Amino acid sequence: MIQDFQINSKEIDKIKEINTAEKKFRIKNLELFKHSGFPNKKLEDWKFSDFKNIIDNNFTKLDYKNESYNIKKIDLLKNFEHNYIILLNGNLHSNNFKYEDKNKIKINSYDKSLNYQKINNPLVFLNHALAVSGYSLEVEENYKFKKVLVVYNFFTKNLKNKVLNNKNKIKINKNSELHIIEYTINESDFKFINNSYENIILEKNSKFRSIYIQKNRSNGFFHKYLKNTISFNSEYSNLIFSSGLKFNKLDIECDLIGENSKCNILSGLFLNKNEHQEIKTRINHLFRNCSSYQKVKNILTTGSKGIFQGKIFVKDIAQKTDAYQLSKALLLHDDAEFNSKPELEIYADNVKCSHGSTSGSLDEDSIHYLMARGLSREDSSKLLIKGFLNDVIEFIKSPSIRKFVESKLEEQINGY
Amino acid sequence: MKEVLVKMLEIKNLKASINEKMILKGLNLNIKPGELHAIMGPNGSGKSTLANVLSGKKGYEISGELKFKGKNLHKIDVDERAQKGIFLAFQYPLEIPGVNTNNFLKTSLNSIRKANGKKELDSISFLKLVKEKSKELGIDEKILSRQLNVGFSGGEKKKNEILQMKILDPKFSILDETDSGLDIDALKIIAKGVNSSRNSEKAFLVITHYQRLLDYIKPDFVHVLSDGKIIKTGCSELAEELEKTGYKQLN
Repeated sequence: MIQDFQINSKEIDKIKEINTAEKKFRIKNLELFKHSGFPNKKLEDWKFSDFKNIIDNNFTKLDYKNESYNIKKIDLLKNFEHNYIILLNGNLHSNNFKYEDKNKIKINSYDKSLNYQKINNPLVFLNHALAVSGYSLEVEENYKFKKVLVVYNFFTKNLKNKVLNNKNKIKINKNSELHIIEYTINESDFKFINNSYENIILEKNSKFRSIYIQKNRSNGFFHKYLKNTISFNSEYSNLIFSSGLKFNKLDIECDLIGENSKCNILSGLFLNKNEHQEIKTRINHLFRNCSSYQKVKNILTTGSKGIFQGKIFVKDIAQKTDAYQLSKALLLHDDAEFNSKPELEIYADNVKCSHGSTSGSLDEDSIHYLMARGLSREDSSKLLIKGFLNDVIEFIKSPSIRKFVESKLEEQINGY
Repeated sequence: MKEVLVKMLEIKNLKASINEKMILKGLNLNIKPGELHAIMGPNGSGKSTLANVLSGKKGYEISGELKFKGKNLHKIDVDERAQKGIFLAFQYPLEIPGVNTNNFLKTSLNSIRKANGKKELDSISFLKLVKEKSKELGIDEKILSRQLNVGFSGGEKKKNEILQMKILDPKFSILDETDSGLDIDALKIIAKGVNSSRNSEKAFLVITHYQRLLDYIKPDFVHVLSDGKIIKTGCSELAEELEKTGYKQLN
């Protein structure tokens, strides 16, 4: 057992340019974290992902110290033209908005405001206590990005036992639009933890689309809490292809606060040997005539574990809500595990909410059909797997980006 | 002297059972290149089992002799049989969501070409081939840009099977009740697909319930399958006779 997971409060004293209120906020959150410790399966939200147990099994020591990091060069993607931000172990390193009107974009390091809604998640407490890195991006009114923004999320080699906390914020002002790709590049040879908190705010008539994808496998253990606020006539979309991580939990909360606001969450995950990924969502329909669409697809190989906990909450005034949720899992081995927990909490009486969840193995008759056309068993399985993920990929409109994601997914599938 | 290949398919005393139930109970059949054989028989006589067993489908317990071009098929897997030139047009073609029909067909054709030491076709030559074959059969090639068999009508599925047969150009084709549920126009397309492929090197095994298809495809031999065995063999007149008398008379 590990004893040395305690954090010294002096870590907070080391944070530079900190005012009294911020210090108080951090100390309070540190106390909350110390009180709860890492979340374990006794907490309903963590019942399928016993984080404490996973950390105990993988680390003998944790290092919370904030350090500065350097990097010589990052190979940028050449598949399509793009703007970029480079994050180095979560820290804003550099940015380039060469395709855009720079007057319309504000980019800074992490947002220091302290008015967060209390979220009962020990890892959020930890983040509030210690995060000193991240970025804050604001798009001015009436501005549509011409090219996609790639957020290079780069993790360096020397991250042994590190706990990296970072905090990001994106605000899209009214009538504006931004598409991002969060592209994670992992170089660490050692195990580390990345704990992020992200806030995305969509003002009226705005649009935001994001894609999460990894360049390669990682020894990182990732947790991200995502809080999204979606206003009148705005649309938020998140496409998750974050395969290749030892552990990943995405906790996504969306508040639909204005009429005709829309939220789409889709994922296509290929979980390799012993990988563990959880997607947890909570969609709050807080106004009438809003819609949400969730489609979570998992393919699981030997020893892997996938989880989807999806909640749709409909407030009494949120009439004519249209909410859809579907989870599908394809288990390729007997020892793969998939847990699905759909939840509906509805207080309005004129709504359309549907949910479904299925899990199964590859259909032998389909494999026979494909093999009878000369495809090997392996190629037939791969074709069925790709087909299974295809409707998630089709959500991507740009052909060059779709091709890029497809080729990444192919790498993920071929690795099995 | 060079040995002339006189046999495409040799089946001797073939027995097949599934879940401990015997379906084929000692079936004998020889098919030579250039021949078209029709198999007719009542429901449950083992027609589809024969098609499945020939394609190499798993799950059957098999004994007896099964040779294709003189080589034993027993230990040869489904994909390898297809690569050797055995094609099965399915009675119920499967819907494969998310897989584009054209992409699938190209992968299929190139797997077979590769196994036979031929160069793989590039996209342009492939599309040219597909265009040519669909036109020949009068099939709207638009269905090929859709997901494989997904949302296809019964007729479209069967026509798609025949188009696949034309494109893959197999040595030996088995048509498992391809005519079932088709209207007369679709039936003509199927017949055209078969008739235009017939030559001295290829052979066909057409499984059907009705004589109707045989008005358009002239078989060299008609066999009656009943309770897992071929109980009668004749020429195309046998089919006409069956249409009048039914299967019961034969038993």
